[in-house]
Amino acid sequence: MTERAELSVEERKAQEAELREVWQTPSGWRYWTSVNNTEIGLWYGSAAFLFMLFAGVLALLVRVQLAVPDNDFLSADTFNQAFTLHGTVMMFLFAVPIFEAVAIFLLPSMLGARELPFPRLSAFGFWSFALGGVFVCGSIFFGAAPNTGWFMYPPLATDKQYSGIGADIWLLGLSFIEVASIAAAVELIVGIMKCRAPGMRINMMPLFAWYLLIVAGMILFAFPPLIAGDILFEMERMFGWPFFDATRGGDPLLWQHLFWIFGHPEVYIIFLPAIALMAMIVPTFAQRPIVGYSWIVLAAVGTGFLSFGLWVHHMFTTGLPQISLAFFSAASEAVAIPTGVQIFVFIATMLAGRVIFSVPMLFGAGGLAIFIIGGLTGVMVALVPFDWQAHDTYFIVAHLHYVLIGGMLFPVVAGVYYYYPLLNARKLSDRLGKIAFWLMFSGFNVAFFPMHLAGLRGMPRRVFTYPADIGWDWFNLISTVGAFIFAAGVAIVVIDVLRPKHREPKGEQNPWNAGTLEWISEPEEKWGVRSIPIIKSRYPIWDQPNIIEDIKAGRFYLPDAKDGARETLVTSVLDAEPIQCLRVGGTSVLSILAAFSLGGVFIALTFHWWIVTTVCAVMTLAAIIAWLWTGTAVIPKEEIRDVGLGKTLPLYTSGPQSVGWWAMFITMAGDGTAYASLMFGYFFYWTIHDDFTAGHAGPGTLWPLAAVGLFTLAWLAMLAARKANEGDRDARTRLWLTLSALLTFAAGCAGLAGPYLTGMDPTAHVYPAIVWVVTLWTVVHGGVGVIMQAYCLARSLAGRMSARHDMDLRNVVLYWHFLVITAITSFGVLGLFPGLR
Amino acid sequence: MFRVGISAEGADPCRRGNAGHIASGDLKGARAIFRRIFPILLVPLTGCSGVQSALAPAGEEAAGIYQLLLVMVVGGVLVWLAVVGLLLHAARRRKVPWTEEQAGRLILFGGVAFPVAVLLALLAYAVWLMPVIRPWFTQQAPQPEMIEVTGEQFWWRIRYPAVDGMPAFETANELRLPVGERVAFSLEAADVIHSFWIPVLGGKMDMIPGRTNTSSLLPTKTGVFRAPCAEFCGTSHALMAFSVIVMEPADYLAWRRAQAAGNGTRGSEGERLFAFHGCAGCHGIRGMTQAASLGPDLTFFGQRQTVGAGTLANTVENVTRFIRNPDAVKPGAKMPAFDMLPAADIAAIADYLVGLK
Amino acid sequence: MRLIPKEIESLWTLFTAPTIWALHFLTCYITAAIHCAKADTAASLGTTSLVLGMVTVAALAGIALSAYLAWRQWGFGSGDPPHDEPTRRDRLLFQGFATLLLSGLSFVAVLFVAVPLVFIEACQP
Repeated sequence: MTERAELSVEERKAQEAELREVWQTPSGWRYWTSVNNTEIGLWYGSAAFLFMLFAGVLALLVRVQLAVPDNDFLSADTFNQAFTLHGTVMMFLFAVPIFEAVAIFLLPSMLGARELPFPRLSAFGFWSFALGGVFVCGSIFFGAAPNTGWFMYPPLATDKQYSGIGADIWLLGLSFIEVASIAAAVELIVGIMKCRAPGMRINMMPLFAWYLLIVAGMILFAFPPLIAGDILFEMERMFGWPFFDATRGGDPLLWQHLFWIFGHPEVYIIFLPAIALMAMIVPTFAQRPIVGYSWIVLAAVGTGFLSFGLWVHHMFTTGLPQISLAFFSAASEAVAIPTGVQIFVFIATMLAGRVIFSVPMLFGAGGLAIFIIGGLTGVMVALVPFDWQAHDTYFIVAHLHYVLIGGMLFPVVAGVYYYYPLLNARKLSDRLGKIAFWLMFSGFNVAFFPMHLAGLRGMPRRVFTYPADIGWDWFNLISTVGAFIFAAGVAIVVIDVLRPKHREPKGEQNPWNAGTLEWISEPEEKWGVRSIPIIKSRYPIWDQPNIIEDIKAGRFYLPDAKDGARETLVTSVLDAEPIQCLRVGGTSVLSILAAFSLGGVFIALTFHWWIVTTVCAVMTLAAIIAWLWTGTAVIPKEEIRDVGLGKTLPLYTSGPQSVGWWAMFITMAGDGTAYASLMFGYFFYWTIHDDFTAGHAGPGTLWPLAAVGLFTLAWLAMLAARKANEGDRDARTRLWLTLSALLTFAAGCAGLAGPYLTGMDPTAHVYPAIVWVVTLWTVVHGGVGVIMQAYCLARSLAGRMSARHDMDLRNVVLYWHFLVITAITSFGVLGLFPGLR
Repeated sequence: MFRVGISAEGADPCRRGNAGHIASGDLKGARAIFRRIFPILLVPLTGCSGVQSALAPAGEEAAGIYQLLLVMVVGGVLVWLAVVGLLLHAARRRKVPWTEEQAGRLILFGGVAFPVAVLLALLAYAVWLMPVIRPWFTQQAPQPEMIEVTGEQFWWRIRYPAVDGMPAFETANELRLPVGERVAFSLEAADVIHSFWIPVLGGKMDMIPGRTNTSSLLPTKTGVFRAPCAEFCGTSHALMAFSVIVMEPADYLAWRRAQAAGNGTRGSEGERLFAFHGCAGCHGIRGMTQAASLGPDLTFFGQRQTVGAGTLANTVENVTRFIRNPDAVKPGAKMPAFDMLPAADIAAIADYLVGLK
Repeated sequence: MRLIPKEIESLWTLFTAPTIWALHFLTCYITAAIHCAKADTAASLGTTSLVLGMVTVAALAGIALSAYLAWRQWGFGSGDPPHDEPTRRDRLLFQGFATLLLSGLSFVAVLFVAVPLVFIEACQP
């Protein structure tokens, strides 16, 4: 096999014309239908930054109110809305999305891919995020913003008189955004595992990709518990199902568990990608490979795991047994170890290199100095006794801002200065950068350091005012002054980014002399990489001579475009051997349609407009089916494709070989986590009550077990359908699919019959409510299964499915594996557990 | 009428008690240096701090946690200086860069071995400390007395149990405790989650609807302190605090006896108006009205430090303001406005209440 | 002696040790929580602590085994990092080394989580 192809100038020009045609960004209003990762990444990032500035302004209002004691600049209610929205927007609309934005923007070229595997899904995620974000932020202009704190503790947040529509806006708006995050997680995991350039084995992956892989995995297991919590919460608010109402057997603490099972990993979901940027920046400015690559992988994976054992440290004062608190305290101390490792890896890399100091390094090092304080105070508050004092005081406010601003915002600004040349081939201003850094660094410390002291002196969080002379006056005044200095620094960064630069000469393509592949992408071309290289180093640009010229000359894989399709390579997970030429979705209006109609569902639900909700739900379903029908599992004209360098690859694969199968698997892992959270609720109620049925009739055993049996039969029928399809027997395949759908329908009816026939009233007590929720969850999943079966049937009838082209059926069978596990667990537990106790 | 000496002091927290100053007689060795130096570092502003400060412990639990804090602050400062020093050193250009082996060793020892050892020691210290400062009830004899405290939007209902022939009684927004005796609390919430926290005495414990949490505290110094609600509980979360008065046991018993007996009737105009305008429908005054439990009990209201659960100093003008329009003083307060009453009536009621000493 | 066939090598070997940590952690938390919820709050942890102590020993043994396998995959320490050659061998060495490091972290984390079993003897908050 050759490693470089030689092409004539004419061939190159022809290829480039083809590629440009296929990858071009649409013009006019259609620009917004673009799905290219560079556009989506840029929009995503810009939107996240706008939300950050908005939330920053809210923070300044909060600081003005607190500048002096007994102030009346803001009313109590406005203040409560402002701090709630500040926290919510910073967390959900800036900190998480900004990493998704950076990842979508950088990853393809960093991995040597043209695109991530599901560009339309990225677009869908972005539009969901933008719409949900505007909806949530806009509420404050109508005085209807959530006002219960970003943690939304019931029963305050379930009190409709107090929280009004704000709590619904929070729950539904953010559920919508969580959907976008999970979409991004699926995209990133599959992209990183399957779309790396040939030769980029897992020991060669850029550290950024390692981090993002772990973070996306964390999103998959952290966000679903919150979605489950949101479902319970909204059921209580809309229909009075008493999940958190103590008078009817509910318990406010369940929400705290679900919220923080999400909330603590969230901190690391925010922090790790920022450290990932540092792991790209530090080697560049030390001009050597990172020392301790494996240590970073250890730290990322270790943090990913440990971060799920920390959630109760937000609940140290809720009166749980000391032994439970101590377990979580121990895990919270342990997580400091991998965090420390990462800092020492950076220091070691700098010591073993020759450091060139510049603005990105300034922000990086300054951020570390801040972050270390946050880490140390984190070690302090993770110790139970100290947290008993520090919890919910300004000490925590100081701690979390030291962690998030030092550990996330400074590295992100470092990343902006570092990667800006990728946008338009010019650097940002060194001078402005230095001014911005010193303003931000000093302003930050002036603003937040005194908060440690105010907190230790007893100042609680979330107070809209405070009395004079308790010993907080000066601290608060100083903090407010610092906040404005900090804001001035941020403003300078914004000015530097936005000021027109067309008069400045274009710089080099790789101005910092970095070693990793993202620097091969050319700002004015949309194809990502001109040809997909063979990777032999962790820092290909440093170690593989001429790689940039060879890539640009189209001497590697896929230098051309065929059939007007956007293509990239799929490789194996561990050793990155090419296995498929993947055709990804191009420009399409369907992603926006799906996102906006799904947004319509959530927004209409907020206002209880049931008809609009239904119409939007039908539109969403239609848009998604149209998207799948036209854009996925497309049977190519030819089975194989010559990708260059004497290599031919299949264009269609199914099962574990294909990216679609992985996406389904990963999505279902997240879905399973949400389901597990609901079941956690079921058993949680069992633990807190002596008799958790409280004398209410259960669903009995007969109907639930009938549902178990029917779901199992339906699953077996699906296996039979797959088998029949493998033998290319279309009629039998269709027959089995139909039978399975009918069985599923019967199974769903049997499942519902249990609680329905025994007259379980979900508003009476939490036991019937949780039984109904688990039943509905399972039945709705059965319903989705039936839609999928109908889809397969239609595909088969339309001649788009055969033994060779069975991607749809294989993915649906995979869904069914998860479904049958869910159904057996649900109905097994509902039917048998009350008798077993 | 029985009067407690402390209540004669003004409502200005700066002049309340002597909390915030640490007695220096019993200090030894390194601990003494800690205690002498750290208050200076941590409390750079002199004046009136202390009534609500975790840095001025007046109870066993707060003192134990303060000690832990001092250890961590010293350790934390040293670690920060070392790591940031190393970072700055690493950022400088040097002629001979470290070898990969040297750098790897730095990660192993600085990034792994040292933190593991330090964190393990710290964790053991803290976990050991937990039952020391919050001892098992089962191992205490006699069992400490259980005071019930209920958080309500936005005030505190406090019930003292019957003891030594004195009947149980209810009060609000002011907790009195005997110095040197462990007292337990049964903590509940009436509406939303609140959190019970007396910073000078110890850490906090949430009050959660549907649950009854317990905690116990051992005050070691007398004085007047302030205790805020520590869990966000709605519009006026910031205006929900209570006073804590730690007294000599003898004074404490005398106070309880007087409280249990109640105010009795005085026949004043304010007292008549209090009943006439229906105040007594929500607020009880023992010995004067029927028991009422919707709002805070007002027995011996005149002894209290504040009006509106820590919102304003307890003066006739402030009580008048509060009665006229509670929402203006304390947004979201459940008490309706009484601005339709004649000003003279409100003034008479306020006069009466502040006079209940 | 080869406990895990060489063919079954995937990313998952990397996750064995932390998964053991997670299982150990959940076992400790859930057992103690149910014990304390179902017994009254003054209850002593006596037997439960003992059982969890044994679970801890088992978890440590499992992690030690995973570490041994990783050490072997790393060639008993013969192939030093950085493992950055574009070969299958270096990829395997990298996996071995990273797994060994993760086993170490998981071992320490399990020890940390066991600390409360020594000091806390009752369910009281």
